[in-house]
Amino acid sequence: MNTVLSVENLSTYFKTDKGIAKAVENVSFSLNKGEMLGLIGESGCGKTTVAQSILRLIEYPGKVVSGRVLLNGRDLIKASDKDLASMRWKEISVIPQSAMNALNPIFTIGDQIMESILIHENVSKREALKRTKTLLELVGIDGERWRSYPHEFSGGMKQRVAIAMALACNPKLVISDESTTGLDVLTQAQVIALIKNLQKKMDLSVILISHDLPMVTAICDKIAIMYAGNIVEWAPTEDILKNARHPYSQALLNASPDLGNPEKEVVSIPGSVPNLVNFPNSCRFHTRCPLAFDKCRQENPEFKEVRNGHYTACFLEGVGNHG
Amino acid sequence: MLGKFIAGKFLQYLIVIFLMLTLNFLLPRLMPGNPLVFLAGEDVGFMSSAEKEAILDKYGLNDSIIEQYGAYIKDIFTGDFGYSYQQKRPISELLMERLPWTMLLTGLGLVLSTIIGVMFGAISAWRRGTKTDANLLTVFMFLSAMPSFWVGMILVSIFSAQLGWLPVFGAESAWSNYSGIDRIIDIGKHLILPLATLILISVTSTFMIMRYSMLNVLGEDYIMMAKAKGVKEKVIKYKHAMRNALLPVATVFMLSLGFTLGGATVIETVFAYPGVGRLMFESVLSRDYPLIQATFLIITFSVVIANFLADLIYPLLDPKVGSRNG
Ligand SMILES: Nc1ncnc2c1ncn2[C@@H]1O[C@H](COP(=O)(O)OP(=O)(O)OP(=O)(O)O)[C@@H](O)[C@H]1O
Ligand code: SF4
Ligand SMILES: [Mg+2]
Repeated sequence: MNTVLSVENLSTYFKTDKGIAKAVENVSFSLNKGEMLGLIGESGCGKTTVAQSILRLIEYPGKVVSGRVLLNGRDLIKASDKDLASMRWKEISVIPQSAMNALNPIFTIGDQIMESILIHENVSKREALKRTKTLLELVGIDGERWRSYPHEFSGGMKQRVAIAMALACNPKLVISDESTTGLDVLTQAQVIALIKNLQKKMDLSVILISHDLPMVTAICDKIAIMYAGNIVEWAPTEDILKNARHPYSQALLNASPDLGNPEKEVVSIPGSVPNLVNFPNSCRFHTRCPLAFDKCRQENPEFKEVRNGHYTACFLEGVGNHG
Repeated sequence: MLGKFIAGKFLQYLIVIFLMLTLNFLLPRLMPGNPLVFLAGEDVGFMSSAEKEAILDKYGLNDSIIEQYGAYIKDIFTGDFGYSYQQKRPISELLMERLPWTMLLTGLGLVLSTIIGVMFGAISAWRRGTKTDANLLTVFMFLSAMPSFWVGMILVSIFSAQLGWLPVFGAESAWSNYSGIDRIIDIGKHLILPLATLILISVTSTFMIMRYSMLNVLGEDYIMMAKAKGVKEKVIKYKHAMRNALLPVATVFMLSLGFTLGGATVIETVFAYPGVGRLMFESVLSRDYPLIQATFLIITFSVVIANFLADLIYPLLDPKVGSRNG
């Protein structure tokens, strides 16, 4: 198949007053053309850090300490600043976590969308404006509103503007980082439906970051589940739903309501996410894992393929049936 | 829409000015004690009754309060601020003499310290956490901790007393009859030390505001988005970040602008600079009430006008403000 993005052993650390926070460690996954991957996990588990590492937007006190991010075979981490600048937006773009703040308040939205086109493509201003209007129409906003300032839009509309901006240069890969935070449920659903629609129409590869498991399972082809800086399981959505291997994934599934089955008992996960500063070498889930045993406290299990396209990291894997 | 906005603001400020004039009129008349003292100063005790009568007449203190008020307003708008019995001169004449010097010193001081503060504040924020940032912070904090009279005296002792490069006091050399370019150079030489003192003591606030505001802006998502979009570092700094970061600085600049006509009392006094600040200081020392009142009136007036200007200019800087009001 046609791999667009391949992340290999990515680790990103933050320097803090108390020590090194290993916000992302040894993360690997890949993404095919036209595929939608849901990246899911509790708040603070490192989803945004993964996204920013891929885009090389991590700044002091953070640092990508190891790993490769191959975008169509080219390593973004090692790319020169000039190559990076030309690849950003043209090949990979982002719909940020809060689109509310992602638009510069003193420029019109048209200016901001046009800017990205004019940086990357050798077109006239008129042409860029024409495309900007088309893009706005594409996300359901009147093209003539390109002259408006961000504050003249509602939250949902700003989110649409951010989507239009992300698509401005026909990227191959779009990362949507919880881009519906702060919107009401109905608007959230509309925005997600819009992203899904555009993804199909333009054959985009999308990484959809979220902590809404039911939503992600409904629209993504594959799912990667993160816990405390690690991806603990990565598999096609079907496999996750029917045959989740990792204790955390199972707990997460049990913790989310199921609209098809209102009788289902929702079980919350006891305990809380560990502090990632100076985290000892061990399975990061061991403090909350009901199945933890000695080895889990001394080593971090390897993230490996357990079935075709189904990866997970747990010592119980292959030991026997634990699901 | 814009016309209506300006007209609305104008009306608002007209009301403020009217209230301010009325207060200024009522204050001396409502204060306990002899109104003569407030009009003529404490020399009143040494005046003959004929002189007192003349003053009472001049101010129409024997007329009804409405008549007095009408006359007062008329005087203000014809530029008649009364008479300084201490300086034995009309107050408007005194103010006209002092205002240009004050505007030169404090106006230039405000503009230069804003430019310097903005420049270094931005650099400090852009290099956050580096040695440059730490050094700049130290220097500016040190400057802000020094009292202005002390800075002034140090500068005088170095550049005037020790090196003899610059004059010690005044706004220009007395009895020199310089003209044209020579006079400008002479005025410039007199201006350097008070101006430098003023900048040194006031630059830190702009520096701190700019640094803080730039740091905030740099942490905004739209800056990260600009980076993700592949916008060049320089364009991000100057186009995306600078204008946003300047908004709080612009606010403070406008507020300070209103106070420039009040002069810089301490500095004008240390350098015997003939500005409004020193005039105010002298008038307070000698309890020259009409003069005190007139200088206060000038300052309030200019604060109100600066606020009006700020209201007009701010929408041009921040589109949010523009549409909310207009
Ligand atoms: N600038 C920073 N300095 C120090 N630590 C940071 C910084 N940014 C992130 N971290 C740490 O990295 C970890 C991951 O943060 P991240 O924002 O990636 O989480 P997230 O999964 O996106 O959470 P959310 O769902 O709340 O958006 C957190 O534990 C956080 O403490
Ligand atoms: S490795 Fe151990 S602690 Fe970690 S998930 Fe598996 S059983 Fe639980
Ligand atoms: Mg996040």
